[in-house]
Amino acid sequence: MPETRPGQERFVAPVDETPLRAIDAVDVDAVPENQWKEAWKRLRTSPLFWLATLILLVIAVMIFFPTLFTSADPTKGSLDNSFAPATDGHPFGFTRQGYDLWARTVYGARASVAVGVLTAIMTAVLGMITGAIAGYYGGIVDTLISRVSDIFFSIPLLLACIVVISVINNTWPDRGFWGSVLVVVIALALFAWPQITRQMRGAVLEVKNLEFVDAATAIGATKMQNLRRHIVPNALAPVIVASTISLGVFIVAESSLSFLGLGLPQNVVSWGNDLADAQNQVSSGQNLSVMYLPAIALGMTVLGFILLGEAVREALDPKARKK
Amino acid sequence: MWWYVVKRLLQTIPVFLGATLIIFLLLKLRPGDPVLNLAGNKPVSPEVRDALAAQYHLDDPWYVQWPLFVKNAITLNFGDTFAGQPVIELIRETFPVTVVLAVMALAIDALLGIGLGTIAGLRRNGWFDSSMLVLSLALLSIPIFVVGFVMQLIFGVKLGWTTPTVGGDWNVGKLILPAVVLAIANFAYTLRLCRTSVAENLSADHVRTARAKGLSEPQVVVKHVLRNSLIPVITYIGINLGSLMAGAIITETIFNIPGIGNAAYQAIIRGETSTVVAFVTFMVMVYVLMSLLVDLLYAVLDPRIRYA
Amino acid sequence: MSSQPLLQIEDLSVSFRAGKEFLTAVDGANLTIYPGQTIAIVGESGSGKSTMAHAVIDLLPGNGQITGGHILFEGADIATAGRDKIMALRGSSIGLVPQDPMSNLNPLWKVGRQIKEALVANDVAHGAEADRRVVELLEEAGLPDAERRARQFPHEFSGGMRQRALIAMGLAARPKLLIADEPTSALDVTVQKQILDHLDQLTDNLGVAVMLITHDLGLAAERADHLVVMYRGRVVESGPALEILQDPQHPYTQRLVSKAPSIASQRLSSVSARAEIREQAMEQAAEVAAEVAESSEEFGSGSDDVLVVENLTKVFQLRGAKPWEKVDFTAVDDVSFRLRRGTTTAIVGESGSGKSTVARMVLDLLPVTSGRVLFDGVDIRQLSGKAQRLRFRRQMQPVFQNPYASLDPLYSIYQSIEEPLRTHDVGTKKQRETKVRDLLDKVSLPTTVMSRYPGELSGGQRQRVAIARALALDPEVVICDEAVSALDVLVQAQILELLNDLQAELGLSYLFITHDLAVVRQIADNVLVMQDGKVVEQASVTEVFDNPREAYTRKLLDAIPGGSIPLANA
Repeated sequence: MPETRPGQERFVAPVDETPLRAIDAVDVDAVPENQWKEAWKRLRTSPLFWLATLILLVIAVMIFFPTLFTSADPTKGSLDNSFAPATDGHPFGFTRQGYDLWARTVYGARASVAVGVLTAIMTAVLGMITGAIAGYYGGIVDTLISRVSDIFFSIPLLLACIVVISVINNTWPDRGFWGSVLVVVIALALFAWPQITRQMRGAVLEVKNLEFVDAATAIGATKMQNLRRHIVPNALAPVIVASTISLGVFIVAESSLSFLGLGLPQNVVSWGNDLADAQNQVSSGQNLSVMYLPAIALGMTVLGFILLGEAVREALDPKARKK
Repeated sequence: MWWYVVKRLLQTIPVFLGATLIIFLLLKLRPGDPVLNLAGNKPVSPEVRDALAAQYHLDDPWYVQWPLFVKNAITLNFGDTFAGQPVIELIRETFPVTVVLAVMALAIDALLGIGLGTIAGLRRNGWFDSSMLVLSLALLSIPIFVVGFVMQLIFGVKLGWTTPTVGGDWNVGKLILPAVVLAIANFAYTLRLCRTSVAENLSADHVRTARAKGLSEPQVVVKHVLRNSLIPVITYIGINLGSLMAGAIITETIFNIPGIGNAAYQAIIRGETSTVVAFVTFMVMVYVLMSLLVDLLYAVLDPRIRYA
Repeated sequence: MSSQPLLQIEDLSVSFRAGKEFLTAVDGANLTIYPGQTIAIVGESGSGKSTMAHAVIDLLPGNGQITGGHILFEGADIATAGRDKIMALRGSSIGLVPQDPMSNLNPLWKVGRQIKEALVANDVAHGAEADRRVVELLEEAGLPDAERRARQFPHEFSGGMRQRALIAMGLAARPKLLIADEPTSALDVTVQKQILDHLDQLTDNLGVAVMLITHDLGLAAERADHLVVMYRGRVVESGPALEILQDPQHPYTQRLVSKAPSIASQRLSSVSARAEIREQAMEQAAEVAAEVAESSEEFGSGSDDVLVVENLTKVFQLRGAKPWEKVDFTAVDDVSFRLRRGTTTAIVGESGSGKSTVARMVLDLLPVTSGRVLFDGVDIRQLSGKAQRLRFRRQMQPVFQNPYASLDPLYSIYQSIEEPLRTHDVGTKKQRETKVRDLLDKVSLPTTVMSRYPGELSGGQRQRVAIARALALDPEVVICDEAVSALDVLVQAQILELLNDLQAELGLSYLFITHDLAVVRQIADNVLVMQDGKVVEQASVTEVFDNPREAYTRKLLDAIPGGSIPLANA
């Protein structure tokens, strides 16, 4: 036996200081948690989430109970009141056409948020179905769906809507409220779905190679059953994030379309229309509240959705999940 | 690499054809007199009617019309505006200023986004990171035309640092403000992407190995973190071009810039659908080309593709 | 030989901050290395061995810090030294060869440039001279065609080549101490032997001391004279390697020595244990076979050979260099074997041997190019109708390699194990619950685990759940595709024991895919050795270990780390 040098003699740690644990024992006391519960916990402690929820709650109340905020009628006004200053019951004065500015802002939430929500739902449904099919079945189906989505993706959203709506304007000039909302929603959804498709397809591609899918196939599950039971639920996270954020983007898009005269018709109470109206004030530099108020309301709403999406993204982030 | 290039090229063709098909179908699928539709339901003189019918081959079946449409698009034969000017000439007049505007906006977007994003990524979850996040998201939430108006008001009218509108004789200086406005609407995404990329790379294994070699921290960051982080950002910026073009329409209108976006807007107000479609087709072509170039650039930058 | 220690770690403690808590990763560790000496630190994951190594050159991740003790390098305490001092030491005095060759090289830079960086940063050479030096270093590390290779990118290298590049990088500035953190764990066993042999030679020639971190006790004893065994952050035993192996004192070391496959496989005791299991299993299996033969519902005919594979071939079509070219790649080439009821056949091979592809074809997860797979006499490609397919599926179930991907993270443990029962419409809800409890019991998991989710369980526990799920339908054959390869040594031994016990109890037949020949002796009766898609040798386990016929088999056996160490009670 070679001589041992100082510092390298045989050493055995005392057993009472280094007790052995059972190999790989289960911790019976821990509370069961699954991914969604964990994510919810993270969400609960995120200041971003609470800020977003607060904003959206206020907006929701504005939409469903506008009379809590104002008693004025946003559609009644006369030009005599054009830019009249604030009085009792009309805290922010009047617009160029004599409408109560505050009432316009409060009631404007409905149309804008309606467009956002409906478009988000439509793109989410379309995107999830196409993305799941493309990702899971692969091959020709994937190539087809991917190329088609590339085509729609390559036409910038606003430009496409401009073309679609200006063309529809020629054929269906008198649409009414829901007709207009429908047109804007469909125009937006038609060119925004590829974004969701990509997210879903990417997530499905990742999940389908995981071994629990193979295990399910070995049990005897069909491709459809696998898709439904295992793949889609595990691929939802990025789609949820993308849809929430895009909701905000759609609301902004609607207002931009209105600015160009292609959004909701003039007689609809919407933030976009009010902002479009307010353009003229900018050069004169006067009565700027007709622009600030709807702009702030719109900005806050959109911010609420975008913050919510960001908070959800961080809560669902797989890197933050423990192994 | 050849695989990648060929695949990419092969993808571009159906995409371009498909996009033109969609635009073309939108034109065709409307009921009513096609000539009136093209002219925005205004009465037209027989000469204009004949010209339009000839230009758009309105008397031919659709499967003849569409390839002609595509051919016209590729050869940049977009017909005439209602005022009688060839659209391609109008494009040639207005395109340069839009290009300059877009490039400036892209540069500002890249500088701001990458610069701030890198710092945020290096100090992830610090106060700088959080405040940058909220700031950029807040800017995203405001419609671009509101941002435009506010900036125009503050910097153009109240402070007078630059002319509020640009007008016919434009120069780079006058375009700074509109370029900033355009960039602001987008840099939030660039910032986030860069931040995430940098933060991920900071904790990457090869970065730790670089430190183990004896490199100083600044060397490690510049040589190993940044270069690796930039690739996804650069490709993203290329894609941004699409939304920049859309934003250009609004920005040019607000600041009265004689660019292609403004011309498109004028056509929209006048109901000159055919001209609008011509402009949009042109912009789509540019976008498809740009995104192809960016993808090829990506292949050059990433040796894993270049030397596959 | 110098008598002053090169590195002395005294009472070192390292902690990580997780939220508001501190987790101790290393607790009062002591270590001494002399110049030119190779020592090995052995431990499982979570033992703190890597953390300690990284702490030496201050490479702990952001939330880690040294909370006590000294690190004396050439007499000076570097635990509290400033950033600059540590940087000066890194590379030039202490080098690092990290673990995962793919992720440790910058994918965007040429390999040569990355090595040159080490030379320049440590002021060893600059410019053209540095370029020359890089080629020399790569040659020294055993990389053929070094000049051309230096101009290539990491993704153009194989795993072994990348590891050699990392070795060249670590030794570039001629450090006095080289920290090798599991330098070959990600590589095939034969490549591993080559590289470690080369490293030994190199460090001997240069007089570099090596701190070898590994989880493999056999490998540690083979390569180092002095061993340090770590468990849960503490050094539990240290001393001359051979002494520790032949006479382990601490209970943890005793456990390791008795369970480590490369060493255990040398023991006759594991061979006799296996023989017993086989006897019981075959008895039980014969009973099952008799039942199957009698019944008309059960799938198959109850024959002796429950699985027969004939001339199985799989050819993949890959893209060639040009877009219109297609290249044929034969992953599996004419493989034939029989699995007797109640026994285990192992398929052994390195990466690219085609063993996993064979498993997937047998499980009917991958279409076959040619050849037949007969389950109990029935050709699985000739199954008619959904009902028959389902009945086939019940008889053969898989257990996969990656415990972190084999369970759906959104399904509770109960749901995961119940799924096969639900798919086949077995029993009422109450009956299924009873069955799940029964299965959990069989795999030695407490039934409270039912309401948990995979994310809360360890790798070994998840594998048990995967085994329970595989047994839910009472299959006759279980295909284990590298089922224990991703587990720690002791956990691995536990799972192997479990598999053996279950086999004896239920009369199961196993097809066991593995790259680790050492494990084979404990679990298998027959072995197929595969290389590049072909079967190189096929025989009983005792024949292959005692009397290997083919050169490749001998090479594999030679490469088992620690295989040549004389044990006290061999």
